[in-house]
Amino acid sequence: MGTLVLSNVARSFGDVVAVRDVSFSVPAGSTFGLLGPNGAGKTTTMRMILGILIPDSGSVTWNGAPVDLHVRRRFGYLPEERGLYGKLKVREQIAYFGRLHGVMPPDDVARADAWIERLGLQQYAERPCAELSKGNQQKVQVACAALHDPELLVLDEPFSGLDPVNAETLLEALRELKAAGTSLILSSHQMWQIEDLCESFCVIAGGTVRARGTLRELRADWPTRIVEVEPVAASLRGVLDATPGAKPLAEADRPALAYELPADADTAELLRRLVAAGDVTRFERVDPSLRDIYLRAIGAAA
Amino acid sequence: MNTLSVVFNAEFVRRIRSRAFLAGTLIGAASIVLIAMLPALLGGMMSSSGKKIVLVGDPAITSTASTLLKRDFTITATLPKLDQTPSAAFLDAHGKAAAVAILKRGSNGLHVTAYARDPSSFRDAFATDLAPIQIALATGAPVQRVAAHSTVPVDVHDISGRFANAGAADAAKGIAYLFVMLLYLSILLNAQSIMTSVAEEKTSRIAELLVATLDPAQLLAAKILAAAATGFIQLGVWVAAGMLSGRAVTGLFARGDAAAASASAPLFGTLSVSSGEILAFLAFFVVGFAQYGVMYAAAASLINRTEDLGSVAGPLVVPVVVGIVLAQIGLQFPNSPNVVVCSFIPLISPFVMFTRIAVSDVPAWQVVLSLAINVATAVLLAYLSGKVYRVGLLLYGRPPSIKQIVATLRA
Repeated sequence: MGTLVLSNVARSFGDVVAVRDVSFSVPAGSTFGLLGPNGAGKTTTMRMILGILIPDSGSVTWNGAPVDLHVRRRFGYLPEERGLYGKLKVREQIAYFGRLHGVMPPDDVARADAWIERLGLQQYAERPCAELSKGNQQKVQVACAALHDPELLVLDEPFSGLDPVNAETLLEALRELKAAGTSLILSSHQMWQIEDLCESFCVIAGGTVRARGTLRELRADWPTRIVEVEPVAASLRGVLDATPGAKPLAEADRPALAYELPADADTAELLRRLVAAGDVTRFERVDPSLRDIYLRAIGAAA
Repeated sequence: MNTLSVVFNAEFVRRIRSRAFLAGTLIGAASIVLIAMLPALLGGMMSSSGKKIVLVGDPAITSTASTLLKRDFTITATLPKLDQTPSAAFLDAHGKAAAVAILKRGSNGLHVTAYARDPSSFRDAFATDLAPIQIALATGAPVQRVAAHSTVPVDVHDISGRFANAGAADAAKGIAYLFVMLLYLSILLNAQSIMTSVAEEKTSRIAELLVATLDPAQLLAAKILAAAATGFIQLGVWVAAGMLSGRAVTGLFARGDAAAASASAPLFGTLSVSSGEILAFLAFFVVGFAQYGVMYAAAASLINRTEDLGSVAGPLVVPVVVGIVLAQIGLQFPNSPNVVVCSFIPLISPFVMFTRIAVSDVPAWQVVLSLAINVATAVLLAYLSGKVYRVGLLLYGRPPSIKQIVATLRA
């Protein structure tokens, strides 16, 4: 297992700058979420990690050494654009990609069978991949990427095209890989799926890093906090309106007083003043979600 | 097992199992058998029905003529005269003959009027076979004597000492023709199979996965080697089919059907293929295939849709066709200066030089130089194609312009 470090990597295609000055690190065994809108540079960054593209400048290292072919064979990759040999049967396909990563017979077939079972593909094992649904093809591709127990698994939009049940199956498989020590880098637009899985994140937009860190660190950097208070009473509203910097928000799906406060506001003092002003049945400080953080980072980019 | 052998094995198995390979090999073998047997079969048909004739004329002439014509024809009937112009029904009624020949003696000697189902087939044969009668009438010499001296025995010897006689040289041309066609088919089919394979990986986006694990040069090398291996197997089947057909034709001699067998003799008459010829064939297959294989792979890496394969493959067929045409000329004039020069030009020389080797005595230095030029070209093309392939595999969207391709090659 090792640590992946990207230092100031940049890559252009002709006059188009796809990635400029991106830096982050993925510690051994950790799970890293790479977020960004379409065309942000996520796929280019992933391709540079995997040596498919050579950075114009900057470096990609694994345990301090450049990522060469030998290292890359210990990585796994699920590209955004899925690709399988249509005529090859599912078991053969998975075993073949295993052999490409150094899993030799008879382990290749044994491991392929284990992944086929794990992903619920038993009934398709002897069928050509072209005959499978898009979702099942995607599961085959995941097995191809993970069969060799990679030290680092890079997954570009792994959940796209999967129904909720299959997405949960995949999440479970990724949790097992994580538990076994595999480092994961994921990009996804379904943030609720990776919010639980990832320990740290990097938001890229326009080829540059807009936000980076653990969810706690990203939340700590958030400039405001939201508090929700119940019941909706005039006395309580008066206290909130009188709080410096507080801005009322539209009510959520149930009646509550929702206010945005500066991040450095003393919420304990606010609670004491609210209790003194009337009966408080609920007082909750709501942290910004990953989606909030992402949208703000992207908005800042715009 | 290293990655190269993993890809090689997978590619080899995929190719061997593919319908295209099985169909190509079987159809090729069947075609070779047909090419070998067809002249014999047609010869047999000709001898059984196409060479039956009816003779009409003064018995004094027809009796002498029938003796001379029996060398080439079967006389089904001899009649003194005809009451009307002969029809197909007349020919059917006289042993299903192919023609009727009316012989008349006039002021200028013998004159033949023939009515035939296929008018193009009889004129020269009648003129040649009956010439002794014409000479006898003009000179007064006995027909048998003129006939006995009408053919001049000619022995042609190969100055290089390679061929025992003109027949052996003719047989060598037939074999060379067959082998050049095999070379053409094998190089083109296998190079195109590489192209299809690269296009499949490109269009289905598997290429991105492969490049993440393999050096593209390794991937390309494994593909070329696998295609070469299947090419050898295919060639083996085809050559075996040719040899067996040749033996079958030779068997016709043993059964006494010399006419049928001799029809196939130019192709397979002696089957005297030297080991040097086989070695040259394999060597020029390898260098020719290597050159075309890498170019087809590079071309396929530039397309985005399999429908575009034709447009990139088209220009690459041109040198193959030029090579084949020049090889045909080389069969007749293996040592003409133009053919000799062409046997050193890469891409076309595998066809031309092999033809020269098969039908003439080529100095060893020329063979070595031609092979060296081809090997060097194959290495250069592999290097350049590898660069295009490496970039092309990940190039999606609008096809690259010529300017971009040149820039890639310079990078």
